[in-house]
Amino acid sequence: MFVALSHFQAAVLFAFFTSIVMGVIGRETDQERLRYGAYVFGCFMAAIVGISWLMYIGHG
Amino acid sequence: MTETKAKKSQAAELRQPQKWITPVLLGWLVPGGGHFYLKRWNHGGLLLFSVAGMFLFGLMMRGRMFTPESGDLFTTVMNYGGYMGDLATGLLYFLASWLGYSQPLLASPVTDYGTKFLVCAGLLNILAMVDAYEIAVGEKP
Repeated sequence: MFVALSHFQAAVLFAFFTSIVMGVIGRETDQERLRYGAYVFGCFMAAIVGISWLMYIGHG
Repeated sequence: MTETKAKKSQAAELRQPQKWITPVLLGWLVPGGGHFYLKRWNHGGLLLFSVAGMFLFGLMMRGRMFTPESGDLFTTVMNYGGYMGDLATGLLYFLASWLGYSQPLLASPVTDYGTKFLVCAGLLNILAMVDAYEIAVGEKP
């Protein structure tokens, strides 16, 4: 089976898995873990969208 | 004074290799295995889901597995670094190599994403192993 993901899809999937691990190991209570995981995911998404726009604008 | 000494000896006792070697080794072999051993079932399940999920997507994108090849400095660092990352996924890596899922180097962006997914799955597993160590030695509740 071959999965051909676009760059954006691969980046979102990467952010999803990484946020789960960061959430699990990063905080001490389940509530904090959930919040931290969501925060890390949000940061990844902001970076993906923000850097994409920067590259688009910089490219001219 | 006596209390401090007792605390120090307790910490030293917890840091003895027999306290943490099993969860760390299990965590390397099976992602989340160290947490399962320490009875952190939910955390172990989430770590297994994330690391194995990333590894499987890497395989499905036909990512390449690194081999320890040397050459110029850049080639050596890339290959050995990637190999260490791949190796950190434990049994997933050994099984995938043994079953012949290792792909040749292809000039395609998708396979390149796959290669990165395989290495990053290993890096995430290293974080999980460090967490298992911290729990085992009592540095983390």
